[in-house]
Amino acid sequence: MNKNIILYAAILIFGVAAPFVFPAFKVQLSILCILIILAITWNVQGGEMGYNTFGNILFYGLGMYLCASVQVGMFFPLAEWTEGGGEKTFVHTPAQFFQGFAVGLAVAAIVPAIVAGLIGYSILGLRGHYFAICTLGLGVAAGEISGGIEIIGAGQGFTTPPFPKVGSLEARGEFFYFCSFAVLIFTFLAVKAIYSTRFKLVLNAIRDNEDKAEAMGIQTMKYKIIGWMISAFFCGLAGGIMGGLVGYIDSTDVAFDGREMGVFMVLMAILGGKGTLWGPVIGATVFHIFKEGFWTFFLGWQYVALGVLIVVIVIYFPEGIMGWLREKYPERFGEVVDEADRKAQVELK
Amino acid sequence: MKIKNIIITFVSAIAILFSTSVVSLAKVVGDKIILGAAISLTGKYSSNGVHTQNGYNMAVDRINSMGGVKVGGKTYMFDIIYYDDESNPKRAAQLAERLISQDGVEFMLGPYSSGLTKAIAPVTEKYGVPMVEANGASRSLFTKGYKYLFAVLAPANLYLDVAIRTAVELNGGKGVRIAQAFEQDAFSQDVRLGILDAAKDTGSKIIIDDKLPKELNDMAATLAKVKATKPDVLVVSGHTKGALTAIRQIAEMKVDVPMLAMTHCDAAKLSKQHGANSQYALCASQWHKTLTYKDDFFTDGMTYDADFTKEFGYAPPYQAAESSAALLVFKDAFERAGSFDQKKVRDALAATNMQTFYGNIKFAEGGQNVDKPMVLFQVMCDDAGKCENKVVAPLKWASAELIHPIPKWSDR
Repeated sequence: MNKNIILYAAILIFGVAAPFVFPAFKVQLSILCILIILAITWNVQGGEMGYNTFGNILFYGLGMYLCASVQVGMFFPLAEWTEGGGEKTFVHTPAQFFQGFAVGLAVAAIVPAIVAGLIGYSILGLRGHYFAICTLGLGVAAGEISGGIEIIGAGQGFTTPPFPKVGSLEARGEFFYFCSFAVLIFTFLAVKAIYSTRFKLVLNAIRDNEDKAEAMGIQTMKYKIIGWMISAFFCGLAGGIMGGLVGYIDSTDVAFDGREMGVFMVLMAILGGKGTLWGPVIGATVFHIFKEGFWTFFLGWQYVALGVLIVVIVIYFPEGIMGWLREKYPERFGEVVDEADRKAQVELK
Repeated sequence: MKIKNIIITFVSAIAILFSTSVVSLAKVVGDKIILGAAISLTGKYSSNGVHTQNGYNMAVDRINSMGGVKVGGKTYMFDIIYYDDESNPKRAAQLAERLISQDGVEFMLGPYSSGLTKAIAPVTEKYGVPMVEANGASRSLFTKGYKYLFAVLAPANLYLDVAIRTAVELNGGKGVRIAQAFEQDAFSQDVRLGILDAAKDTGSKIIIDDKLPKELNDMAATLAKVKATKPDVLVVSGHTKGALTAIRQIAEMKVDVPMLAMTHCDAAKLSKQHGANSQYALCASQWHKTLTYKDDFFTDGMTYDADFTKEFGYAPPYQAAESSAALLVFKDAFERAGSFDQKKVRDALAATNMQTFYGNIKFAEGGQNVDKPMVLFQVMCDDAGKCENKVVAPLKWASAELIHPIPKWSDR
């Protein structure tokens, strides 16, 4: 217990000090926080519940558009803001900017959760590959549909409100960093709390044998929907912050970016170890560091390098980093290994 | 023990990664002026990204070999740091941040495409980094009140305006029936707005108004409608792929339309790739080699065309020419500012009034170039099947007469 408190305190201190220690890396650090949130939320669905989804990008993109739309729409006519070639310029005052962003984030969390509930009700009856393929379509469809909606800029894209002139040049970077860090902590603690309840056991039961779980009287559908809604809630938050951070939302390249973000969140969770609390956190961190490194040192070959990394992960760490550690040091994970029993089992094989 | 070693190696690798990427390059090192640019080397804009990069490199070599930039009695050479933005706005914004805050770049060149420029402009604006861009034409870039953004090209809504007006003129001043299909991206949608304006002005009617997906490689549905409704003008815009797809399928489906107006014909090397099939296509261009503008570095369009072809093995599309022009603008501004103070350079840029081989350059309040009209050329082939782009409008530069209407496929 004590060890854990020291660990958490160290991470918290590092998180708060990081933008000042590495001021040039604020954007990368903010994106790291977002990636961790996405990996954690994907893990709720894909890791604990065993429903591999490619559709979480839908909630991320939805959150992004919603947050920006609310932030603009609260004070100015949204249609005129996004109108292609619009002649008018609107400027948010600092108070309007922050108020709008706060309300926007709230909407960006709640609406995707409701959408997840509605969609989940209709498609969570699918299992295995069928579910994965179905969710793959969700992100693609959302990208194409949003690219045709004029009020959010359609193919022109949506420029989010520029950060108001407050404080130093660094203020924008610091603001978005602390926003994403705060949401990360909120997400982590919330998911940790959820994992300590019976709810997680139900999700695991669904993963291990859904029919048996149902036979035992668990209303699996209800739990599956709630699980996905939790995922969507935090995904939407992450999207909302990312929209403000990037400053420009494009329907298929930034918001419903299934090809990158949508795949990355799955990869990160698998790299770190599916079905663990810390796996996605570690996976996202390692992944982000490697990715940024490749982009710096293997320009033009970055995707090749990333591909090699993925192959290496699959071959040498099929259970992810956490799974590999668990196999190496089972005692650290509170598992008692009876050496004689282990040997006997090996001989049996 | 082994595990410990692995962990130590891993941690130190991370430490090295971080420490090497913090190496800060100031904007001017010794006699070098370092400019930053995020370019699409991979992804859907990669071919145009390479045109842009070649244009930049060509101008850097030329300016450096002709004595460099003289600021405050000292001579400086240009140098550019490139990153690959993968044709992705999110990546581009991140890279702009990285160029400025990690690499210490204080002056930027633009990326390829309006969408990516839209993503980068807020970042350069925040840091007060002057950016001269040559490939972001979307009108909405110039209405955001950006002070540090300068574009050497004419805004996108003017691209095909001339084509519609010409069609109306040829129709005896009566409105025409327009069919149009545009890719879902910032640039093409702006071209569309330009057509809507022109249609309203001339009393023309838009009978087909389709949107095409990004990365498009099929527009058969639109063309089937065109075949059925027989419009007077068909307008297509979707970067290089859009131009290639349109010509390929129009030829396959034998779609007859009196006027076909497009963008990106020269970047797509249409006449080379599709030969006689691309004949009669009317293309909007920012530049053409036969225009009579002059400067001291590249002499004129014809010389630029010859030099570029010699260096890179293909004829320069306008994307390369306008990119080269961006460097000339920077050089001129540095010399007039007589300093590397960002504010002073920005003011010098705003006061630019010069002629380059690519055209006249003078910036309006919003940063767009207002001193350079668009030109229209038509792909024309001789009997041997050799095709060439010939300027047909405006008349001042026309080297051939517009062929209208396009002969039917059955007669070709």
